[in-house]
Amino acid sequence: MSRRQVRTAPAGSAAAGWVLSLPALVAVAALLVVPIGQAVYYSMTDWNGITSTWVGPSAYTTLFSDPTFLRVLENNGLLLLAVPVVIGVPLGIAFLLHEQIWGWKFFRSAVFLPTAISWVVIGLIAVRFYALHGILNSLLAHVGLGFVKTNMLGSTHQALAAIGITLVWSQLGSNTIIFITGMAALDPALAEAARVDGAHGPRIYWSIIMPQMMRFIQFAFIITVLTAFTAIFSLIFVMTGGGPNFGSTTLDFCVYQQAFGQSAFGTGALLGVLLFVLVGAVSVIQVRLLRSKV
Amino acid sequence: MTLTFWENYGTQLSLLNAAKNLIAAYEKLHPNITINMVNKPANNYFSLLQASAVSHTGPDLAVMWTGLYLPPYADIMANLRPYIKQPTWASIEGLQWGAKDFSASGPILAMPVDAQFYMGFYNKKDFAKAGISAVPTDWSQMFADCAKLKKIGVTPLVYGNASGAYSGEFNPWYDFSYMMIGALPPSQWQDLYSGKIPWTSPVVASQVSEWHQLFVKGCVNSDALTDTNNIGQFVSGKAAMVTADGSWDVGQYTQQMGSNVGAFVPPWSAKPQHGVVYFPGDAISVLQESPYKAQAAAFLAFMDSPAGAVQIAKAGLILDIAHFMSTNPINQQMLDFVQKQHFTMYPMLDNVTQPDIVNVGYQVLPAALVGQTSVSSALGSLAAKHNELPAGQRSTYAAYFSTP
Repeated sequence: MSRRQVRTAPAGSAAAGWVLSLPALVAVAALLVVPIGQAVYYSMTDWNGITSTWVGPSAYTTLFSDPTFLRVLENNGLLLLAVPVVIGVPLGIAFLLHEQIWGWKFFRSAVFLPTAISWVVIGLIAVRFYALHGILNSLLAHVGLGFVKTNMLGSTHQALAAIGITLVWSQLGSNTIIFITGMAALDPALAEAARVDGAHGPRIYWSIIMPQMMRFIQFAFIITVLTAFTAIFSLIFVMTGGGPNFGSTTLDFCVYQQAFGQSAFGTGALLGVLLFVLVGAVSVIQVRLLRSKV
Repeated sequence: MTLTFWENYGTQLSLLNAAKNLIAAYEKLHPNITINMVNKPANNYFSLLQASAVSHTGPDLAVMWTGLYLPPYADIMANLRPYIKQPTWASIEGLQWGAKDFSASGPILAMPVDAQFYMGFYNKKDFAKAGISAVPTDWSQMFADCAKLKKIGVTPLVYGNASGAYSGEFNPWYDFSYMMIGALPPSQWQDLYSGKIPWTSPVVASQVSEWHQLFVKGCVNSDALTDTNNIGQFVSGKAAMVTADGSWDVGQYTQQMGSNVGAFVPPWSAKPQHGVVYFPGDAISVLQESPYKAQAAAFLAFMDSPAGAVQIAKAGLILDIAHFMSTNPINQQMLDFVQKQHFTMYPMLDNVTQPDIVNVGYQVLPAALVGQTSVSSALGSLAAKHNELPAGQRSTYAAYFSTP
């Protein structure tokens, strides 16, 4: 059989294929397609969770003319700035652990620790850490920097940064583990060959290890973006309540506020749809940017 | 039979004790009924209640807040009127706050528990030490007393997020209510609702600007928005006043501070403050989907019977009946504001303001206090939100302001 010839399945086999796929298709439709469709429908209604009235696409245009919503979008954009740090720092740590530096076994466990702590507990710790009379200012005072007194959670412009830093810390463990796993699966012969050819540390890291790690970076990137956009609600809830002055309100927090805080489930669904589109867009852009390098 | 009762009282011990007393007394009278009281976190209580109702897993009885906090949940609450006989209704003051469309003769969605004063408290020893003989009654006296208290090393007024039911975030609506009491008569609060008086009007802006001056002049703690131990600082005497509080905490303060604590009306007014927030803010509802609506409503009827009133008073709360006299001196001091000094009674402002605007206020007003945003910008946000509301939410509601 030549390479151009394509084997086609008999008609009976194709039907059997569809039948066998049916349970999966039904599950996907029931658990994904229908809820997404419902969310899109309800996003154009005035829905209090029990009764709904049709509003139409004007719900979207109204939302985009709301300055508070634009501020919320801006906050989500700013939170994206934390993503490279959430990738870069664990990547560096994973490299050091992979090189089996002194005490690497201990550090591997220590770095993973935040992953085992719930968001709420992390948030509560962070509140005490950033408080005016909290751990951060106490540490600064002990190293002679008492004049740098901060109250990040009480500041419109710093509250989001405090949440971003907490996000970086909380994601350190899971991303480091992803990268350590990736590095363990690398072909050591490539690095060895490079060394034989005279390449050293940084050169091997950038030219040999990094290209092979790209699919892991891509995976960690998507997970981190998803986390930053959809999973830190409880962190914001505990740390700032979205304030002050909407300074730390993000889309997922806004979904909660609207749907459950004000029983505006229609607006909540609308924000959820936008969040879905936003995460999808960021993921597609990221995949396209990195595709050629994988 | 077991009835489930959700409450969000948190650290509000008097309310919690009243509920416990009521349940114990009711179960004694009705041995076949058990009431299972379930505490829910205060700062997402209504979210949980709404979610439970939508998913048909809600309780039979649930704490509700009155006024405009009710309408968003009107669909999930049962009308109590068919279940409770007429004489009970007649004895309740402020029944309209728990009624549909605020009409006391219409469907009743929530039964008030007690009459509440939203009030400030002060530390008598701190005042005496600073040489202050009377509590401040207007802005100028407040600033003068602030200077005296600072001189003795005491924080004049402590803010934070550890008081009230919203334990996780700073609640600006207590002070904002008193700012508007100082600025407008009750009849004109309707104009804030309708937009006839915009949130950006000079009369509102000047009050919020004075409030901001409290922060500028160091009259409040610098971590006003994030302090989680403000009540502890007040009780210990490190701070002389708290304002975001009310009669439900009198029992707690009396226990911890003895006769050293006194009540005062937050003096957020250019002329001597002569209004007080006094209305039933806490109530209990029966959920529409409860299979035991009649039994749950019977418990509420008991709550407002003479036998139930004894249990509520025993917990240190003020009964929502006319001419009530309290044995607790601080409660009576607050009642005297109305009964003897004839202060004008107001509701809390957030109970008569559109929920969308209340939500924005939670964000922008604290920021205005500490100068994170300008007063005009903060009030501009409230006005912008008001402009976005549908016309139906910008009419006037005279019934809100009928005398309880």
